[in-house]
Amino acid sequence: MTTYPQRVLEIASGIREMKIRGAGRIARAAAEALKIAALEYTGERDLEAFKRYMTNVGELLVSTRPTAVSLPNAVVYVLSSLRRVSSFSEAREAVVKRAEMFIFESEEATRRIGQIGARRIKENSVILTHCHSTAAVGVIIEAFKQGRVIRVYSTETRPAYQGRITFTHLAKSGVPVTQIPDSAVRYVINEVDYVVVGADTVASNGAVVNKIGTSQVTLAAKEARTRVYVAAESYKFSPLTLIGELVTIEYRSPEEIVPREWLEKHPRIKVLNPVFDVTPPEYIDAIITEHGVIPPQAAVLILIEKLGWALDFQGYSEGKLDLNRIVSL
Amino acid sequence: MFTRFTGSELAFSVLDELYSTASKGSEIEFVKRLLDLVDYVLSERPASMATINILRQVGLYITERGFSGVDKYILELKEKYQAILDRAVEVMARRITSGEVLLSNSNSLAVRKLLSLLAKQGKSIKLYVTESRPGGEGLLLAEYAENLGFDVYLIVDSAARFFMKSIDKVVVGAEAVASNGAVVSKIGTSLIALAAKEARKRVFVVAPTVKFSPETLHGELLKLPEHDWKLLVSSEEAARLPENYSARVPLYDVTPPEYIDAIVTEYGLFAPQALPLVLSLVEKSGFTIARPIEEIVSSLKRRVGV
Repeated sequence: MTTYPQRVLEIASGIREMKIRGAGRIARAAAEALKIAALEYTGERDLEAFKRYMTNVGELLVSTRPTAVSLPNAVVYVLSSLRRVSSFSEAREAVVKRAEMFIFESEEATRRIGQIGARRIKENSVILTHCHSTAAVGVIIEAFKQGRVIRVYSTETRPAYQGRITFTHLAKSGVPVTQIPDSAVRYVINEVDYVVVGADTVASNGAVVNKIGTSQVTLAAKEARTRVYVAAESYKFSPLTLIGELVTIEYRSPEEIVPREWLEKHPRIKVLNPVFDVTPPEYIDAIITEHGVIPPQAAVLILIEKLGWALDFQGYSEGKLDLNRIVSL
Repeated sequence: MFTRFTGSELAFSVLDELYSTASKGSEIEFVKRLLDLVDYVLSERPASMATINILRQVGLYITERGFSGVDKYILELKEKYQAILDRAVEVMARRITSGEVLLSNSNSLAVRKLLSLLAKQGKSIKLYVTESRPGGEGLLLAEYAENLGFDVYLIVDSAARFFMKSIDKVVVGAEAVASNGAVVSKIGTSLIALAAKEARKRVFVVAPTVKFSPETLHGELLKLPEHDWKLLVSSEEAARLPENYSARVPLYDVTPPEYIDAIVTEYGLFAPQALPLVLSLVEKSGFTIARPIEEIVSSLKRRVGV
């Protein structure tokens, strides 16, 4: 029976209990846990034993939030450093180095996306954004600082009103921002030069899974020939979609939309609350990643370059990620 | 006053208001009330064509035939409006077969009448309703459909495209129809129609011809009212938002005729672009005389000396 360092167990339960939230924070916490696990390893100083131990830690972490794409991406990124090592001490050093690299790169990613994205915005632009995305807001604020943005429309984003967070976030940076109801997107879209949104998951064909309503916003943008940019860190790209996995769209509680009393009074009305929708790649002009601007159809390039194991079908068994294979290939 | 009313509800309540004022027997009081209503509707509900057309008709009656008999005339207009709405709804009902899945927004009186007729005909349908912010009238339509015994699905406005594949037909009401066949309706309708077109689902607008805007034939643009943040957040919620919280809240949008498969009127179901033509062929309906309302207003003012 393997025992894990206390701090590793704390991080795992923090992710499971959603004390650690947001794709980036979850991914960095997982990388940190792997680093701690490697440094505090007290078992046999044997390469194979160490690989087995790290694989178990990785599996523990991945199991904490089965639907968060950033989590397995971080774990695989760190553990794939075990592939080409020949001794225990080399292996431990490789894991620590790779974990630190992941943490550094993912913190840098959002900043670089802001800089790269801002270059795509022309002077005197009006931007529309949906929901709240740190990466998208980063692009808008950077472009605003460069004097390129004259107005931002932010949708209120029912049911949870994340648009109010976006409003507050942008207003604090001095960006002139106007909230609109979600139903008014097509009404204002002719005034808009760019739609900039974030992503929850990017699929291997370039389809973007994001907050419900995103696909409708991009449809209206396409109709009006308004450009659509998706700001997404590379850890949002989903390797499992490459082997045909579908991204599951979660339905959340109806009480996010209407009060419980109303639901009890109206038993024959079903309130359907899907959290995400899928924007097809043809409605997206570009995905802005920390590695550059890519057409959505080239999402597979990011998967190969950043998540190289993804193309390696041997990283899976029975359609599931298999960390044993990742570390020993 | 009248704020939550749909286009037809506003028209009916204005007719009731005019009737009760007319019954008091004072011409001056009646004309003043009529002028107040014209002011109110032109500033607050400038796209509510049925009401504008009715006010135009009543004003015209006074200028041409005087005060006597206006109460009877108002009752006739009301009966006529009810009749043409019912006829349009009957036409629409023929296009719907049992088992179909419909999507609607807001709380259109025409759509409610349609649902009630379908229930009477024993046609069982399923209805998706968007909550229809701002205002949230979709909840009222969902409740209405539930009481008729239909299965109802309530979704957020953002989810229309997500569910469009599960839907057979989109059916909505209208505030106004312009001379090119464009339809003014609750904000968000054009987005739903766009998503329907993308998914190759049919879009029907139930709108008796009283909703037609004769001014648009002369090139006038329909005015669409906009409100501010007060329609989006309560004052408690606003206290938690930045002080400069601002919003743009349009109440209606314009759906281009190419996204509408048919407009459904008391004269039948046809392409929205054909509406002015149909009206010119059958024009004895009396509702759509194109005398500008401003002209009628000034002769009414002269009449009562204000």
